Amino acid sequence: MKNKIWFILFFTVQSVGLYAQSVSTSPYSIYGLGSLFEANFGPISSIGSSGIALPSTTFINNRNPASLGYIGKNSFFFDTGLKGFQTTYTSKSTNEKRNNFQFSHIAIAFPLNSKSGISASLKPYSSASYVISDYQLTIGNSNEYYNLDAASYGGLNTFDLAYGYKIRKGITLGLTTSFYFGTITNNKNFTIANSETNINKKSYYSGMRVTLGNQIKIDSTFNIGLTMKIPSQITGSKTQSVSTVNDTETLYIEENVDSDVTDYYLPFEFGVGLSKSLFKKFNLTLDYEKSLWKNTNQSSVYGEYKNQDKYALGLSYVKKEQSYKYADKIHYYTGFNYDTGFLSINNKSVNNMRFSLGVGLPLEYTKSALNLNYSYGIKGRVGNDLIKENYHMIGINLSFEAIWFVKRKFE
Amino acid sequence: MKYILFLILFITLFSACQTDNTEGEFVVGSDYLSISNKVLLIDTLTVNVSTINFDSLITSNQSRILIGNYTDPILGKVTSESYLKLTPDSYSIGSSDSDTQTVKYVFDSIAMILKYDRYYYGDTTKTQTITIHQLTQKVKPNTDDTNFYNISSLMYDSKSIGTKTFRPKPIGKDSINIQIDATFGKNLFNKLYNNEITDSNEFEDLFKGVVIKPSTINSSNVIGFNTSSVLRLYYKKANSDSKNSLTKDFTLSDLTKQFNNILLDRTGTIIQNLPDSKSKLPSELTNNNAFIQSGTGLACRIDFPFINQLKYISEKGIIVDAELIIKPNKTSITSLFPLKDSLEVYESDNLNRISRVLTNSDGSQKLALLNTTPDEFNENIGYKVNIGSFLHQEMLKTNGAKSTLILAFPNISKGVNRIVLGNQKNAENKLKLKIYYISY
Repeated sequence: MKNKIWFILFFTVQSVGLYAQSVSTSPYSIYGLGSLFEANFGPISSIGSSGIALPSTTFINNRNPASLGYIGKNSFFFDTGLKGFQTTYTSKSTNEKRNNFQFSHIAIAFPLNSKSGISASLKPYSSASYVISDYQLTIGNSNEYYNLDAASYGGLNTFDLAYGYKIRKGITLGLTTSFYFGTITNNKNFTIANSETNINKKSYYSGMRVTLGNQIKIDSTFNIGLTMKIPSQITGSKTQSVSTVNDTETLYIEENVDSDVTDYYLPFEFGVGLSKSLFKKFNLTLDYEKSLWKNTNQSSVYGEYKNQDKYALGLSYVKKEQSYKYADKIHYYTGFNYDTGFLSINNKSVNNMRFSLGVGLPLEYTKSALNLNYSYGIKGRVGNDLIKENYHMIGINLSFEAIWFVKRKFE
Repeated sequence: MKYILFLILFITLFSACQTDNTEGEFVVGSDYLSISNKVLLIDTLTVNVSTINFDSLITSNQSRILIGNYTDPILGKVTSESYLKLTPDSYSIGSSDSDTQTVKYVFDSIAMILKYDRYYYGDTTKTQTITIHQLTQKVKPNTDDTNFYNISSLMYDSKSIGTKTFRPKPIGKDSINIQIDATFGKNLFNKLYNNEITDSNEFEDLFKGVVIKPSTINSSNVIGFNTSSVLRLYYKKANSDSKNSLTKDFTLSDLTKQFNNILLDRTGTIIQNLPDSKSKLPSELTNNNAFIQSGTGLACRIDFPFINQLKYISEKGIIVDAELIIKPNKTSITSLFPLKDSLEVYESDNLNRISRVLTNSDGSQKLALLNTTPDEFNENIGYKVNIGSFLHQEMLKTNGAKSTLILAFPNISKGVNRIVLGNQKNAENKLKLKIYYISY
């Protein structure tokens, strides 16, 4: 069994290079670090991204590192997922539909002893991918036009190392160290009068952030969780090449000139979560998170930063956790998420509302499950400089559990 | 174990499924893109236009004999006379060896045959009178120079050896014949026939060359002749009734020994006070016009005194393109003074010293081309040239040595075409400059 786990690990490492990039076509990809991506493990997507108070007993809960204090003594978890989006973008003048599929995450977790566990995960943080062809724009001071072709790819990823520890019965503490890294390549081609100017920019980002977590078991049915994210800075540098071709010559204005790019600041964030199981069959989760973006004092080209509130509500149902009937063991999930967004454009916030449904299909006699979920969401609104996104999201996610160490004795 | 395989399948699926649709217009949200790079059109930059005077155009070795005169209603009287050295291919007549000569020859006549090269300027329906004079000075440039210029001249015998009044037919006919004084011809014949002349030095002592001048009586047109024009001596066998003459040609064997002296008499005109070749005459002093005239050395100079101000638009910026349109003064265009379809563009310093000719990306010479798209009021007639690279270079200059542009006709040294060009203040024929700028 252990060999098989190494085999999985090998594949995990292999896939890092392949999948450590998110792809998105959101208009918000254009600026800064790109559009942010939310990766959820296990059934968390299905329960409206709530789960600060959930323990990592059946899957890796990336919402709170303290959950790792509850990881089973002999459990080894592997979690990976894929997401597909279909989004309709509506602006004041037009609308269009775009689809994309992308890698969501890859993670492992295992206990160190009966009181503590660690996890490692890799997931996309943001995507700056977009392609714009032959876009006509007005030349300043005139009624003439120029054409722009732009393409960007890349984005940031995070590699998280989390540790959770049970300090005494019912109380766990946790810490996540997140490493942010990534490259965004941006290529713009301006066709102005009889000239063509190319600006190629490669931005490199890196940063680190610490998350602290705590979970308290009030009684056998009621848990509360707390998280706190320390503000941090993602530093960037770029190299830029600029060249222009006109009827006279090709001018290389800049070739791989290094310069700093504006650093990106992640705010102080805190979250509170509740988890209550009801009638042994239901479990209700409720999270509230606040992100103090305003204090980061950064500016965005398309709006002001504002403090963000996130509300998440989830409900799960399973007829019987242990049963010989397969249908009894299927988990059903539903959830709702409301997020005020951290940007205000023309004094209008870009909020995001999402409703989700999901099922968890158990696999074998372990806690392994295949989670399928569907969400429908609306982000932003139509207005001046504002874009409304209506999206359907389908997620498929495998939470794999292997019973480690003990099983080996029987082999 | 089967789940392990399932996992592998799952991972493999990722790479297959990670698609991004890049189809479609992707317009929603594109506005954000335009924010980081400013793209501007600047059409208010001051452009100073002036007339300059090249005093030394090289007119030798230009392969054109340019003769005539015309009075331009704006610029004054243009006169072109041509100096040429004519040499025979051998210094004998008849057979090359006169000792064994058995046939005697006699002089018949001599004529200058000028062959049209199809160039003309002015009114060719009017007659032109030209006279030919013997040079009294060898066709030899000043020391340490191999060229003759538009202002060069040589001494000649005031008594002409030939004259002709004719109506030029530069397109319809091939040549004109000017009968040359028989005394001169007979002398030349005898010297060669009697072997008194045996080499080029002796020949040059006898006959140094000619100048072909327009007479001052008429002032109507300037005509170009090609360098296969010859002085042809006709002779025949003595005591023969044969009408078939034999000929001996004196040709322009060395084109560096032929040049045109082209003068402009500006007295009483608007450009009477044209300064020396290192200065300029601002167009504001000449009714917001500047002038180009081939041959006499008038050229149009364009200065961009505030171009480096564009540096301050943004921290980093490029002039990616610039379109200069300079318009000919409509009232100056007549059938007698038609437009040429292009102008040459040179870069020069403040003292009108040309440093280079502007070129295209393929290395060919950059020309300001005449827009000939017809329209009712000739609004669009103008010479257009893209000077983005030049202006970008000028914008970035940190020292004071600004460059200027000089516009002139192609073949500036071998014609007398002229044009009147408007400046930015010329309401009717306004110069336009559009600069396209991008910050990065």
